[in-house]
Amino acid sequence: MTRVLTIARSEFLTLIRSKAFILSIVLMPIMMVALFFFMDYAESHIDVETRRFAVIDHTGELYPALEAETDAHNRDTLEDGTRTGPEFIATLVEMAGRSTDDVKVDLSDRIRRKELFAFIEIPADVITTAEDPPAIAYYAEATSYEALPSWLRATLNDEITKRRFDAAGIDQALIIRLNVRADITTFGLVERAQDGSVAEAKEVDKLARFVLPVFFLILMFMAVMTVATQLLNAIIEEKMSKISEVLLGSVTPFQLLMGKLVGIVTVSLLLAAVYISGGLYAIFSSGRWDLLNLVLIAWFLVFLVCAALMYGSIFLALGSACNDIKDAQSLMQPAMLLIVLAYLGSIVVIQNPDSGVAVGASFFPTMSPFLMMLRLAMPPGPPMWQAVLSVVVLIASTALTVWAGSRIFRVGVLMQGKAPTLPELLKWIRA
Amino acid sequence: MPPSAISLRNVSKRFGDHQAVDDVSLTVPEGSIYGFIGPNGSGKTTTIRMIINILVPDSGEISVLGRPRASDVRDDIGYLPEERGLYKSMTVHRVLRYYGQLKGKALADIDASIDDWLTRLDLGSWADKKVETLSKGMAQKVQFIASVISRPKLLILDEPFSGLDPVNTETLRDAVLEMRRRGTTIVFSTHDMNAAERMCERIFMIFKGRKVLDGTLDDIQKEYAHDTARIRVSGGAAALTGMASVESINDHGNFQEVRLSGDPQLFLQQLVQKTTVQQFEITKPSLHDIFVRIARPAPEES
Repeated sequence: MTRVLTIARSEFLTLIRSKAFILSIVLMPIMMVALFFFMDYAESHIDVETRRFAVIDHTGELYPALEAETDAHNRDTLEDGTRTGPEFIATLVEMAGRSTDDVKVDLSDRIRRKELFAFIEIPADVITTAEDPPAIAYYAEATSYEALPSWLRATLNDEITKRRFDAAGIDQALIIRLNVRADITTFGLVERAQDGSVAEAKEVDKLARFVLPVFFLILMFMAVMTVATQLLNAIIEEKMSKISEVLLGSVTPFQLLMGKLVGIVTVSLLLAAVYISGGLYAIFSSGRWDLLNLVLIAWFLVFLVCAALMYGSIFLALGSACNDIKDAQSLMQPAMLLIVLAYLGSIVVIQNPDSGVAVGASFFPTMSPFLMMLRLAMPPGPPMWQAVLSVVVLIASTALTVWAGSRIFRVGVLMQGKAPTLPELLKWIRA
Repeated sequence: MPPSAISLRNVSKRFGDHQAVDDVSLTVPEGSIYGFIGPNGSGKTTTIRMIINILVPDSGEISVLGRPRASDVRDDIGYLPEERGLYKSMTVHRVLRYYGQLKGKALADIDASIDDWLTRLDLGSWADKKVETLSKGMAQKVQFIASVISRPKLLILDEPFSGLDPVNTETLRDAVLEMRRRGTTIVFSTHDMNAAERMCERIFMIFKGRKVLDGTLDDIQKEYAHDTARIRVSGGAAALTGMASVESINDHGNFQEVRLSGDPQLFLQQLVQKTTVQQFEITKPSLHDIFVRIARPAPEES
């Protein structure tokens, strides 16, 4: 037993120093936060150019309003003297007796000479024709630039509808007031407490409905993937450099396998502990005590331990049969398929956690850590017997997988030469 | 006869269609240095793996340090695999400590032993360096320390000298002999026939899975001694060709090595009558010659 713990300890220390683990435990949250800030910054800071555009206004009445709106926009995007968005400067095109085509060619040349950024042509009947109105044409060299055309679309449409309402003699403000939508709020079920009073139904918001289940799902995937791939690389390194022979000169294959499994279970628990602490901190600091669900965390830990053991022994068995990374890639496919299946299953469960497919799949041992966990985290959750049954099935198949894995491991870890096929691996289990 | 450290009785092992080890019996006395020789793929490593019980023989019996299964005495066996066998990203000290712990030794003992051996093998300043920064010779020395850190009663070394420069070979050989002085039984496999000749009390040779040599170097040389003569005569190789007891001639130009089938004295008499003999020496074949003679069928020589 002490040997198993010695191996587990060494495995644990190696794993938590590995790049993959550091990546998932430290860099991932940092990167997510950094990405969030970057996007926020990029949105408001990157585009502070001055965009000059010309307007051919066939209606003869929209331009002054547009010019006023550009001024408003330029003021709004100026904070304490620094621009937070592009500056729009409009100029009205004087036709001066020229044909529209001549003017458009001339304007295009000016864009090529970088004197202008874009120009638009507003059709004459854009206000009057209510049904299927002609489009406003936007001309630019940098056609992928979206900020200006989308601003123009919004601004011009506001002006156009305002004029249409005026022409019909309707007060637009009244219409907006009458159009205010009544929102729908989702609640859980109402219960009558023992003293006879009706307990206030709990408001279920997006956070509880969606974020919590997905949090557990992603954490489960991350824990399994981090430890499984690390384990695979480690066992191949040990085999390639004959470390496994030295180890097997000191311990039995079963002790070695168990030591490694105990190591990765500890690592995955550590990973989970870090993220769950993060979640708890978020709950404490935001005061969202309704999101705290200790039963759910307990379920998660049970599923996590089983998943780490099951996927750990699958990857260890496969890794022990490989001689190099190339072998691993081909032998990995069936194991990766299991994870992909679990991923696809999670989509089905999120859409409808009580559908026949979702219920059936959440009993299947390679998927249950992900899918049953997801169902447990999504209110109202599955019936208790389903959760218990899936854990029982999972524990039984985990034991079976560890046993089969150790049979393969025992043969594979000393094998040199050609990597075995899957049928050969099955033969090793029975041998 | 001292008690045996290793005893193999009619041991066979087959991998698929390949008979790796075929009915091999062997006794390694306690406290001896035993050399395992044989060409690549002849079954040396399989035999070693069966001795340390990471492979199980198909048939036959193995007893190690008086026990029927090496797993009972695993902690008393030190093993150095052929090349490598160290975690590249661990420090020297950590990997040695880990291997020591896996043999069930106390940390205090292990640390003392590590310091002692690192100093002895001139690696004192490398304790906290990563294994991947070591040269091949240094890594091999660390590997050796890993195999002796638990003070084993039986030390099994698979190709301990391969790829080492003469200085490191010397250092490592002294270390092996030091273990021998401490009473450790040592088995090592090697392709270096000089090392085997110099160090081993007994030699075991396996070829195509079968035992072909087993005994002290003297016994083996005696067995192969009398049929080789180194000869220098007027007329060179041509003068020797066609003589009755000449089995084969290995022409070295200035002299010829002749394998004889009959009595060398009789052959010398015939030779003196035929030509002028400048040199005639009945040689003890080197282990290298014996090895080559067994492992390669004698080529047709003119």
